[in-house]
Parts: sequence; structure tokens; C-alpha cells
Amino acid sequence: MSILEAEALELEIEHPSGLWRDAFDRLRRNPGAIIGAVIVALFLFLAVFASVAAPFGQNERVTAPTSTPDGPSSEHRFGVDKQGRDYLSRIIFGARLSLLVGIVSVAVGLSLGLLFGAMAGYFGGWLDTAIMRVMDILLAFPGFLLAIGLVTALGPGLWQIMLAVGITNVPQFARVLRSSVIAQRESDYVLAARSLGARGRRLLLRHVLPNSLAPVIVQATLAMATAIIDVAGLSYVGLGPNDPSLPEWGKMLADSAARLETGTHLVLFPGFAIVLSVLGLNLIGDGLREALDPRLKS
Amino acid sequence: MIKYIVRRLVLLVPILFGLSLLVFVYVRSLPGGPEIALLGERATEQSSEAIRKDLGLDQPLPVQYGRYLKNLASGNFGSSIITRQPVMDELKQRFPATVELGITAILIALILGIPLGFLAAKRYQGFLDHASLGASLIGISFPIFFLALILKWIFAVKLGWLPSFGRIDATIDLPHPTNFYLLDAIIDTNWKAFVDVLKHLILPAIALATIPLAIIARITRAAVLEVTNEDYVRTARAKGLDPSVVDRRHVMKNAMLPVVTVIGLQTGLILTGAVLTETVFAWPGVGSWMLNAIRNADYAVLQGGILFFALITIFSSLLVDISYAFLNPRIRYQ
Repeated sequence: MSILEAEALELEIEHPSGLWRDAFDRLRRNPGAIIGAVIVALFLFLAVFASVAAPFGQNERVTAPTSTPDGPSSEHRFGVDKQGRDYLSRIIFGARLSLLVGIVSVAVGLSLGLLFGAMAGYFGGWLDTAIMRVMDILLAFPGFLLAIGLVTALGPGLWQIMLAVGITNVPQFARVLRSSVIAQRESDYVLAARSLGARGRRLLLRHVLPNSLAPVIVQATLAMATAIIDVAGLSYVGLGPNDPSLPEWGKMLADSAARLETGTHLVLFPGFAIVLSVLGLNLIGDGLREALDPRLKS
Repeated sequence: MIKYIVRRLVLLVPILFGLSLLVFVYVRSLPGGPEIALLGERATEQSSEAIRKDLGLDQPLPVQYGRYLKNLASGNFGSSIITRQPVMDELKQRFPATVELGITAILIALILGIPLGFLAAKRYQGFLDHASLGASLIGISFPIFFLALILKWIFAVKLGWLPSFGRIDATIDLPHPTNFYLLDAIIDTNWKAFVDVLKHLILPAIALATIPLAIIARITRAAVLEVTNEDYVRTARAKGLDPSVVDRRHVMKNAMLPVVTVIGLQTGLILTGAVLTETVFAWPGVGSWMLNAIRNADYAVLQGGILFFALITIFSSLLVDISYAFLNPRIRYQ
């Protein structure tokens, strides 16, 4: 082996790693992020395989309806509810709903926010001013209150609720992406692509957007956590999905909140299901923020 | 500086005007009118018509809006259709309740959050650091109403240490010149009432304080870590200054700037949290009032309340901007 060949090998070993690879390596070494990933993976598994994982159906009566439902037993590990349904099964099917709520409302917020943020940041000028002033007005109302207002106007269905919570996310996404796009727009590689003849849409979609996405991904993870909490809160104040058969955690908790004495398990289990899933997402979001922060690159 | 404040205040006029129009249109777009809320299932065509006429809702929208603006200009927010009380009078009673709760919560968050964040930064990567970061993440992950329910169940229902609802025991006679009950008790020098009001405040304030506490602890930690690595801190240490003096005079003083900003930004969180906390503890504040107004399609209360919420948010962000300039001599508004 010649000296050059040896050097070439070394070069191959030290090939430059990209932002995403570095971030993944950092994420793998962050115990918090690992715990978060395990929690979220568990909920994902339960949501996807709910019909297999749950011992009973989500609306299957296993005992007679009662005003003093039994607590946890060896047969029903999370007890039964007032309608005589197995509570563990309802919590497991509820994971499906919470996940749906998180994903749909973030998708709504993300797609509208990306559109507005990218346009404002990339084109600038009066379009930027107009879009961002509207976002400022939306931001003047605390998110949860805005969601309450929107649900009141749209009506209390599951999809209306997800839409409302999604809309409250739009200004944050638009802001984050706008500042990120502005930072990328002036960078050298964009200038290079422009001088090679790339224009408008191609420049925005192929070069600027992919490199502006890191902060948006962090924001999306955290927004999913907030969406789950907000939907539960809407349920608690009586603006949740109006279908009583839906095993939505916030609604299950709210339905039993008034009688913590007789049905402690009816409040605690859905409550801690919310806390755990939100904690998982927050841990991942926090880990991602640290992993994707280029200032921390060693 | 004064010029800047005046300009910001003048800019508020068109914002408020637009906001009032937005709120007016929004409230009228809500499904179900007040006649449904008042009459319920018994509503007939005739009785509904009578009520709409009585409330002036039969007139064209521009006329209604014009009358609403005229009333607004003279400080008249209209009357609740449920209680028949002027919205302004109810606001005078309910707003202090929310403010008293909110300020207590912020105080708890500051008194615990700043030292916790400081200690975490001092023990960077140590046990206390990891523990407080973990605890703050768990705190942020708790839905506030769930935490409020648990607190109420343990400390009010199970242990019976603290009252579970309201602002003051019904048997205590206390005049309310300010409607800030703690202040009222001091004015009346009624210490029994003071203790009772304080007891009623503890649980809802703790529930409301958790998320701001977690955020303040995290921000303080980050700010202290950043300032600790500054050259002037090293210089202060190198010249042999006592470490506690360095911490107090150089580290904390400079680390407080982002913390103050964050306190201002908590207003929205406190208002949001107030809606849920007040519901759990039957606290007669603005949050529970607004929720009831939504349920009852109480137009006047909704209009007044939403406008008021937006006003508070706008003014608090103005205060944050102004406090920047006072705290950071490098920023000067022209």
C-alpha cells in the first residue's frame, strides 16, 4: 500500500459528516432523548396495535353499568368505568386518538405556517409585512384562549377541535421558519446556486427550505405535546369532542373529575397517560433542540 | 423614551379599533343566540323575537356595532343578559380575583424558580442540575387542570388542610373596597380574614405557578451559565473578589435581564391557566366568567371580556419593551 493509498483510506474514514448525522449521533448519547423516544415508541405501538394490545373493545361492556365502578383488579388492571367498560382498553384506544390529535393539528399548523413563513421570509417586502402583522394579531391571544374561541365558532366535533388547535400553531411556525429562511437566504451556497442560474421556486424548495427545517422540526415536536394538552383542556372545559363513545383522555378525565372520591382511577389513569405521552414528546423535542444546535457542534 | 411610549400608545388606537370590530363580528358568528341560552328548549318563535328585540339584536349589524362603539367610548360595556348586571361592574369584581391569583402564582414561581435555576447552574451537570431540569420538564408536561384536581383532592378533600373552592369562607364578613381580598383584609385589619383568604389562595396559586416556575428556573439556569463564562466575571474573580459578591453583583444582576422578559411573557400563560384553574377551584375570576359567557352565548360579557384579555396582553408586551430599555442601557428607543 502506497502512502497515498493510506492517506486516501484515512480520508474516507474521516469523511465529512452532515448536520443530520451529527445530530443523530448527539441524540443517541442524550439519555433524556432516549427515554422520550422509548415512551413515544410505546404509545405509537399501542396506537397502531390497539385492537391487539387491548384486552377488550373500546366500547365493549364487561360489567353492568354502575355509579361506583370497581378500581384496578387482576382481571381489569385499570378498573372499569361507569358504563362497565374495561378502562385499560379505553386508555389504549385513547392513544390512537391522542396521536391523531397531535399529528393532525401539527400538520395543519405546520403546512399553513410553512407556507406563510416561507413566503414572508423569502419574498420579503410588503408581503412579509402583511403576513407577519396578521400573525402578530393572532399571537396577541394566548393560544388556548384562541382555541376556545375557534371551537366555539366551529362547533364541538373532533375535526373542528384539531383544526382549531392547529390554527393556533400557525403563527409560531410561520415565525420560526421566516427567521430561518431569512438567515439562509443570504448564505454563500444560496448565492452559488443563484449564480448557477437557479431561480424562484427551485431555489426556495431545493436549497433554502431543506436547510431551514431544523428549528421547525424541534418546534413541531413541542407543538405536538402542546396540542395533546390543549385538546385535553378543551375537553375539560366542556368543549371536547361531543361523541361519548370516543375514548379521548381529556374527556375521560373530565367526565369523572367531579367524583374523584368514588372513581379515583377514572381520573388518575387518563391523567397520567396524558402526562407520560406529553413528557415523551417534550424530552425528544428538548434533545432535538440541543442536537440540532450548530453552536454546540464540537 | 417618553416619545417612544407615546408613539406606542398612539399605535394602539387602530389596533384596538380593529380588535373591537373583529370581536364584534366573531361574537355574532357564534352558533345559538342568547335567546336559546335564556329560554332553552322552551323557546318559541314569538318569545325569541321578543327577547331579540328587547336586546336590540333585531337591528341591522352596522347599527348594532355603532351603538356598541358609542357605549364603549363612554366606558359602557353593556349588561350581561344572564345576570342583567353591567359588564363593567362584574369586571370590577372578577378582574381583581384573577389578578390576585396571577400575582401570587408569579411570586411563587419567582421565589422558587430563580434560586433553583441559579443552584442548578452552579452545580452544572451535577445531580441538582439534572434533577431540576427533569422536574421542570415533568412540570411542563402536566395539564394544569389535572395538577389542580390532584392538589385539590390531596390537600383539600383527603387531608382537609385547605379549602377546596372560592376566595373566602362564607361565614367571614369582610367589606370589599378594592376587591383584592388580601388588601381588603389589611385595610379592615381583619387578620382572621387575611389568613382565610391566604388559605384559599394557596392551592390554585400553586397549580397556576407550576409552568411559569419551570420556565423561570430553566431561563435562570441558562442565563447564569452564559454570564458565568463572561470575561468580566473572570476578571472579578481574578482580582480576588469574594465569590458570593461576584455571584450577587456580577452574575445575578446580568442574568436577570432575560428572566424579567420571560416574566412579562407569562401574562398569556397566566390568563390561559386562569381559565382552567378557576374552573377547578370555582374561583370567581375572569377565566371562569368567560367560559360561562361562551356556554350561555352572553354577547356583552364575551365582547367585553375578550377585548379586556387582548388589552392586557398588548399592554404587558408594551411594558416588556419599555422594561428592556430601563434594564439594559445598551438599548435606547428613539
